[in-house]
Amino acid sequence: MHPRWLRCDSLQILPVFSVVAPYQRGASPPSVRRRDLHHGLLAQTATTTAPATTPARQLVNTYCVSCHNERVKTANLMLDKVDADRVSNSANEWEKVVVKLRSRAMPPPGARRPDNETYDKVAMWLETELDRAAAAHVNPGRPAALHRLNRAEYANAVRDLLGVEVEPRMMLPPDEQAHGFDTNADALSIQPALLDRYLSAAAKITRLAVGDPTIPPGFERYTALKDNSNESTWFSQNERIGEEFPLGSRGGIVARHYFPVDGDYVFKVRMDRTDTGLIRGLSARNDIEIRVDGARVGQLTIGGTPEFTGANTNSIENPDYAASRNPLMTADSGLEVRAPVKAGMRQVIATLVKTDNLETEGLALNGTPIWSREHTTKPNNPAMISSLLIGGPYGARVSQTSPGRERIYVCHPASSREETACATKILSTLARRAYRRTPTNDDIQTLVGFYQAARAGGDFDAGIRAGVERVLVSPDFLLRIEADPAGVAPGTAYNLSDVELASRLSFFLWSSIPDDELLDTAVRGKLHEPSVLEREVRRMLSDKRARTSLVQNFFEEWLQTRNIWLIKPDLNQKFPWFDDNLRVAFAKEIELFLDAQLKEDRSIVDLLTSNQTFLNEQLARHYGVSGVYGSHFRPVTLTDENRFGLLGKAAVLSVTSYSTRTAPTIRGKYLLENILAAPPPAPPANVPALEESSKDGKPRSVRDMLEVHRKNPACASCHARMDPLGLSLESFDAIGQWRTTDAGTPINASGVLLDGTRVDGPAALRRALVTQKEQFVRTVTGKLLTYAIGRGLEYDDAPAIRGIARAAAADDDKWSSTILALVKSAPFRMRRAGS
Amino acid sequence: MIVTKKAISRRTILRGMGATVALPLLDAMIPPLTAAANTPAKPVRRLGVVYHPNGVIYDKWLPKGVGADFELSPTLAGLQPFKDKLIVVTNLYMDLAEALGDGGGDHSRACGGYLSGVHVKKSDTVVEAGISMDQIAARAFEGETQLSSLQLQMDDNSLVGSCDVGYSCAYSSTISWLTPTLPLMTENNPRVVFERLFGASDSTDPKVRAARLRQDRSILDSVTDRVKQLQRRLGAADNTRVNDYLTSLRDVERRIQKAEEQSAKEVPDVERPAGIPESFDEHARLLYDLQLLAYQSDMTRVITFMYGREQSPRTYPQIGVPEPHHPVTHHQNDPVKMEKCTAIQRYHLKLFTDYLEKLQNTPDGDGSLLDHMIIQYGAAISNSDRHTHGPLPTLLVGGGGTLKGGRHLVYPVHTPLTNLQLTLLNLLGVPTEKIGDSTGQFKELSEVGV
Repeated sequence: MHPRWLRCDSLQILPVFSVVAPYQRGASPPSVRRRDLHHGLLAQTATTTAPATTPARQLVNTYCVSCHNERVKTANLMLDKVDADRVSNSANEWEKVVVKLRSRAMPPPGARRPDNETYDKVAMWLETELDRAAAAHVNPGRPAALHRLNRAEYANAVRDLLGVEVEPRMMLPPDEQAHGFDTNADALSIQPALLDRYLSAAAKITRLAVGDPTIPPGFERYTALKDNSNESTWFSQNERIGEEFPLGSRGGIVARHYFPVDGDYVFKVRMDRTDTGLIRGLSARNDIEIRVDGARVGQLTIGGTPEFTGANTNSIENPDYAASRNPLMTADSGLEVRAPVKAGMRQVIATLVKTDNLETEGLALNGTPIWSREHTTKPNNPAMISSLLIGGPYGARVSQTSPGRERIYVCHPASSREETACATKILSTLARRAYRRTPTNDDIQTLVGFYQAARAGGDFDAGIRAGVERVLVSPDFLLRIEADPAGVAPGTAYNLSDVELASRLSFFLWSSIPDDELLDTAVRGKLHEPSVLEREVRRMLSDKRARTSLVQNFFEEWLQTRNIWLIKPDLNQKFPWFDDNLRVAFAKEIELFLDAQLKEDRSIVDLLTSNQTFLNEQLARHYGVSGVYGSHFRPVTLTDENRFGLLGKAAVLSVTSYSTRTAPTIRGKYLLENILAAPPPAPPANVPALEESSKDGKPRSVRDMLEVHRKNPACASCHARMDPLGLSLESFDAIGQWRTTDAGTPINASGVLLDGTRVDGPAALRRALVTQKEQFVRTVTGKLLTYAIGRGLEYDDAPAIRGIARAAAADDDKWSSTILALVKSAPFRMRRAGS
Repeated sequence: MIVTKKAISRRTILRGMGATVALPLLDAMIPPLTAAANTPAKPVRRLGVVYHPNGVIYDKWLPKGVGADFELSPTLAGLQPFKDKLIVVTNLYMDLAEALGDGGGDHSRACGGYLSGVHVKKSDTVVEAGISMDQIAARAFEGETQLSSLQLQMDDNSLVGSCDVGYSCAYSSTISWLTPTLPLMTENNPRVVFERLFGASDSTDPKVRAARLRQDRSILDSVTDRVKQLQRRLGAADNTRVNDYLTSLRDVERRIQKAEEQSAKEVPDVERPAGIPESFDEHARLLYDLQLLAYQSDMTRVITFMYGREQSPRTYPQIGVPEPHHPVTHHQNDPVKMEKCTAIQRYHLKLFTDYLEKLQNTPDGDGSLLDHMIIQYGAAISNSDRHTHGPLPTLLVGGGGTLKGGRHLVYPVHTPLTNLQLTLLNLLGVPTEKIGDSTGQFKELSEVGV
């Protein structure tokens, strides 16, 4: 077996030679491949005779072309042919080389490599050349001309436009996502079902915002967990579950609900049931409180009465007992209160009053609260609230001071003669905000036409409602439009107009429409001035909306932590103590952590290194941190180095795991894609599953399973990069707990970085990653740019990313500096005209 | 005639009967829709497709015996009351769902091509499959109903990242494709489905409804004008999205026009569902009830319904399967896990059978709704542990005289699944020559003997 041969081939299994690759280990390679190799070597000899004029040529001739040449075509990259004198002529290929050099991903493990100094020197030379050429010929790329708002943006825009908060999941279907983000213009399709939803959403939202005394009563359901689905949940309600809840409460539901008009509303509470439908916890009396914006509007009681405490409870637990007469199934049907509420956004809470004699399920030996699945079958466990229904209005009266009306009604007609002028003013103000530009006469005429038609058959409010509805389904509201200006030569770069730039800014930083100040600045033609642009960006970043939307939309997608709501740890055997309170805590910790990073304007690198986090008691126990009591989250300074930064967060560790075990391959791939900017190729065909036990039936540790898998050479070439990275996190189990054994074997968390450096455990991995922090900063910058401009990145975006990172590096890689440099970069401020 | 909203609310009925659990929407509240009942019998012009993810335990699924002389398998046993109305079609395959050099991703390829019989493009950005059979039927029927089709499912299919190695989530989240590049989103919220069917105005007052439709129509007209302006302003390169927009506008406009024509039609007096019910059971039954309601009021003729997206990890503690579905189906021949898979399939079929019963009991013209529709029930994966794409578990139910029920038809192995779909389309009066990899029609579906 020829080692050099194996080296090339193992890299080219994808996708062309995938069928051939498995033959190679041990067997003699097919003769045709030998010939290929032979040619490859000849090619190398031939090219080395040419004068090696540039550092790049020298390097690739020495280390790369024996595989990456015209004949062997490894990974379809032919470095013998590329122009190494004017590298910009082969920018696509050289950008690939830069990535491999910077990440040390090439040459492959075991092959001869340059020293670190050479790696960086050549990479630097290439970058300088490429950046110089790019600066001379700016290519800002071309995001789609029509860019639909995604549903988070839609809901934010509605909030900023009309002062009404709506739950986007109830209004619109989910969006597709591409290149990692649902801000991608190409993925945001338009289809009939979506237009139907826009129409009905517009009608509903308008009614909420303007108010309508004829609004028919209807119910909204809120559940204990955020996702409002009926997937089985294990949400313990034995303690006070959040800051919003009153002291002395346990469990319950908090809902932000928009009350469209003044009137009476009904609050219904449904209790949690066993799998067979029996309400649990009725043997004791349970007091339930309903609060609106903190004020108690009702008290309810369930359980503790003779029918549930008497001797015949056994018979009512009997499944044969007729369901319709069984009080264990029906006792919550009358749990409702009716109370007057003023129009506006209110926080509604339904919670249980905590009693001293509450029987909790106790603690396991290690102090972990056990939320065993026992509760699914036993009706004797403590009562829990499973949903809150808010219904109404009854006896509705339109409130002149609702947030919606205060925002919309910029004037009030004193007489019928003033009505049209006032309506025109109201609708032009709305159109300007909604369309993010000065409305045209046509725009205004259209809206006033809708006003007039509806006013003819109704009152002033009805007219305004018709106009607002039309605004909300307008393509000028639903789409961000960037059309090539007249007179720009095809294929050339042009500066976006100030008004277009304002929308790019506000959707990037706020996931919403510009506010009046930003729009005014743009309309005055000032926004492109560097000092004005910087002032606006800083102003926008200091608004809490920026942090909220970047955390929820950028970070959660980039880090894939939205998937926390979808993970299903194995509750039966592996993680019986995992419950939804812990799931919520995972989500809360990372949200607070990221928010603090932005708020304190930290360095990007702090994402990896920070010893600051936020914990409550349950998560602190999960992490083995002592001295944290109670359900509320507070800042904590970590002392265990393994827990520092993103890679010590349960959120990240659990979304990169399977339900029963860790997945070092997924964790390794995650690191390559999201930390090191060196994504591995897609897996080949017919990947065999991991063998979970050995031939004699003995269970294997994950490390052992992967070792068996890597013996297959087709698998080895990629797994040799992913697994060793991921294996260094093996000390964290599939839900991010520290562990010392796996399947009875002591944990071996030694791993190997792309450059061959050996690391032992999470802390060592992190320290090694920090030595390559430039790679990390570039990765984050690239992701942020993808998110901000709504298109996938191309090789010719690399100079811009390096430019942004360089500018930010001068200011300690701070978030504000990175965002500012990004906003000033060509891909963000410019666009290429169509050809 | 319009039944007033006041009549009896669902909640009232629930309380009156002293039950708070899972009372199906329909049992008491659907007024007799006389318009439908008076319609003379027509050929079968309704299609339903019910899809379940993650394959089956095939030897527990496959009936014993062939032709009319067959015995329902343990998995299918619950369908006994409908045995004479169903056809089990065996040995259908989706050979184009195999890797064919594309590597892993069997779940996505299977689901993505289930109703079109194509080998879907491996991509997590630019998707491409084929027009699905339900959408071919929907196209043919669209002039007749307000909604050309409905896509329902139990899961909320928002998911970050590609769902399966290198495949967009679109492939595993829907079986309906309007065009080869436009997968149709599915809906799992009964409230939203209700509003699509009966409008968001939440009123049964004909004047209010008519005013709403007029308003929608003038909004759409005005929006269409504006999109056409944009079309003129943008270059050809940017016009794909504009064209999607105009196509969608026309589709919605047609729905509204239809609704105006049919505005005298009765609207069922049912309260809007408050959202997604708290149990899977109640949720599934409600979505089935809404399907029945949609067929009965002739709002649409074509519905696809998925018990979950492919690789769904839903747990079913209520039937003793607290483990996530997809991992359990990789049972590695562990009999305990296999039994759990079968339990989930039986449970899905139980809910389906209850739906059939309601269809059977709903009069429609000269027979029942069930007589006047064809439902295909099945999966795109056979052996879930090994991701095989055949022999696929496939059932047909209903069809009145069009389908000759009570039989187990066994075709040669590797018969394309699309042959069945091609045959169904032609039986539905939608002349079609080929779908995906189809090689011909089955003449046996409507005749006796094999």
